Amino acid sequence: MSETWMIAGAWLSAGLTIAIFSFLYKDNPFFKIAEHLYLGAGMGWLFQVSVFSVWGPKIWTPVSHGDWLVIIPSLMGISLLTQFIPKLSWISRYGFTFIMGYGSGLAIPATLSTDFMSQILGTVQPLSLMASMSPFAIFNALLVAFGVICVLFYFFFSVEHKGHFQKVSNIGIYFLMVYFGAAFGNTVMARFSLLYGRFDSLYASSSARNFYATQIILAGMVIYFVLHSFFGKKGPAEGEAAH
Amino acid sequence: MIKNKAICTLVLSIFTAGAVFAAKPVPAAKKTPPPASVAAISGFTAADMPYDVGGAALLRWPVNPADTPDTVYTVYTSTLASGGWVKADEFAASANIGKDVDMPFWAWDGSAGEHALKVELNSFFGEVPPEASYHFRISSSEKGKLAAESLPVEMTTKGNWFRLDRLNNLVLLVVIIIVFFWAVSHAKRKGLFIRRIAGLDAIEEAIGRATEMGKPIFYLTGTQPMSTISTIASTLILGEVAKKVAQYDSYIKIPHYDPIVMTVCKEVVKQSYMEAGRPDSYREDHNFFVSQDQFSYAASVDGMLEREKPAAVFFMGYFSAEALLLAEVGATNGAIQIAGTDAEGQLPFFFTACDYTLIGEELYAAGAYLSGEPMLKSALKVQDFGKLVVMLSVFFGIIAVAIGAKMHWDSLVHVILNMFKAY
Repeated sequence: MSETWMIAGAWLSAGLTIAIFSFLYKDNPFFKIAEHLYLGAGMGWLFQVSVFSVWGPKIWTPVSHGDWLVIIPSLMGISLLTQFIPKLSWISRYGFTFIMGYGSGLAIPATLSTDFMSQILGTVQPLSLMASMSPFAIFNALLVAFGVICVLFYFFFSVEHKGHFQKVSNIGIYFLMVYFGAAFGNTVMARFSLLYGRFDSLYASSSARNFYATQIILAGMVIYFVLHSFFGKKGPAEGEAAH
Repeated sequence: MIKNKAICTLVLSIFTAGAVFAAKPVPAAKKTPPPASVAAISGFTAADMPYDVGGAALLRWPVNPADTPDTVYTVYTSTLASGGWVKADEFAASANIGKDVDMPFWAWDGSAGEHALKVELNSFFGEVPPEASYHFRISSSEKGKLAAESLPVEMTTKGNWFRLDRLNNLVLLVVIIIVFFWAVSHAKRKGLFIRRIAGLDAIEEAIGRATEMGKPIFYLTGTQPMSTISTIASTLILGEVAKKVAQYDSYIKIPHYDPIVMTVCKEVVKQSYMEAGRPDSYREDHNFFVSQDQFSYAASVDGMLEREKPAAVFFMGYFSAEALLLAEVGATNGAIQIAGTDAEGQLPFFFTACDYTLIGEELYAAGAYLSGEPMLKSALKVQDFGKLVVMLSVFFGIIAVAIGAKMHWDSLVHVILNMFKAY
């Protein structure tokens, strides 16, 4: 790739990143441009994925090799499009019915296995090594079992949570909150990692080799916002807020 | 002509040799029985692995009392009766005993007096065609020296229709179906009690507020397809929300991530407007498609929330990383936000950014709670039954397993763990 294209890429990357980040200040034309570009690019990407990864290898290639059975699921898929023609929209029900039936058939056994059996086995199994477990490991296994029962009770809808039931349910909430706290911290760390990635990209675009793309775009946007705040028309919401 | 044939033969020979070497060959099996100096392993059998799709073989042979800790068994497989042998496994004589096979007691009678080994054929030969034949032989060695060898045996793969090893899952499913029909019958005759769910009482308040302020209501169904339970629950809640919106003559906007979910939701909303007696107020653009790309969907909906400043936003369904991106913008704009999701990782973000949050199972219960439909209430009762089964199983299971493990009652522990075996 030529140097010119690399520099153009850096300007585009920095410009779109800063345009999206500008939403943190307020809605603005730069964000709108980036938003619509992102939307269009995303759909364009998905369209080509559908053509080259689904339609091509899963329909066109098998049919061209004489595998005519592929036409049956293809027709069911196409039947969904009849939703756009009111007179023919009843045909789409066959496709939808198949999707719902297939989805349920796939989900129910898997849910039974993962939500019931795995949960019970995962809670009970650690104690099968009780003879060789340390006191702390036994306490840990019992605590997990106690937590499972209390949390499940919180989600029990058939009885009113009053008296002793309320206490068990409340303990369940505490267990949930401990989990949510840990999940929150974990996810925030992951998000910071993404943020660092963008900052790293902006830093790379700010070099002299890229003609200070980050600094120039950032400065340009700041100037726009300053000028707009002085000379721009006040929107109805801003006008109301000023009163 | 002869020259061409000779070249062809030579090329074919090279390819054949290449294929054989690529398969990590071992010395070809002898066509004749093992020499007298090497003992024969008797009782070696190979058969199709029961209760599978037909892609594995089950090898069995008696444990040799003369085996020492240094004895190592090597298993070879081939598609040919002789030659082309590929090493399938190698293990110490103390491993792969009959009782080590990972199958429950009602489907497998493993003995400590025999070796049993499952060989996944697709690991060595790629996709296994139906009813294909494979050959196996084993050898044992002591400190690298060949001690005994079996004759090659043949087996044919076979797909099974019934997974007997999953019988416990089937029994549970049948019990749940029976309980469901009982619950439906009971709900229709006497009604079923469901405890109050706090977040759902706020729905009417949120819709009322939006009506007073003359602002739209946004309802997001998540980013999963129609087949997921959370999306199905979301469409049920949408039906009740849309009914109230129609009654209050407010306006609802439902930006969609999945076109199939959008089509279902269109029917749901239309039905709700009809049930509310306001079919004239229904508009086709209540539901609209945005994008099936996660973050461009989030960016676009964020833009809508910022520009239209809705009075109420509902997040019902499965959400991923876009959860906070969406909920934060709604909160910044002062909307009443009610969320419900079974995505555990995203719940903390909804807690921080929304006024009310339905946690996991509460989302599934919401549809039944709001509609009061006997069928949905029955489904909720069945879920409660399932939770009761889990609670009791865990409670009695840990007691039984702990006692069994402490008293060294291995059979009891084995039976209990097998009963809850998942796949």
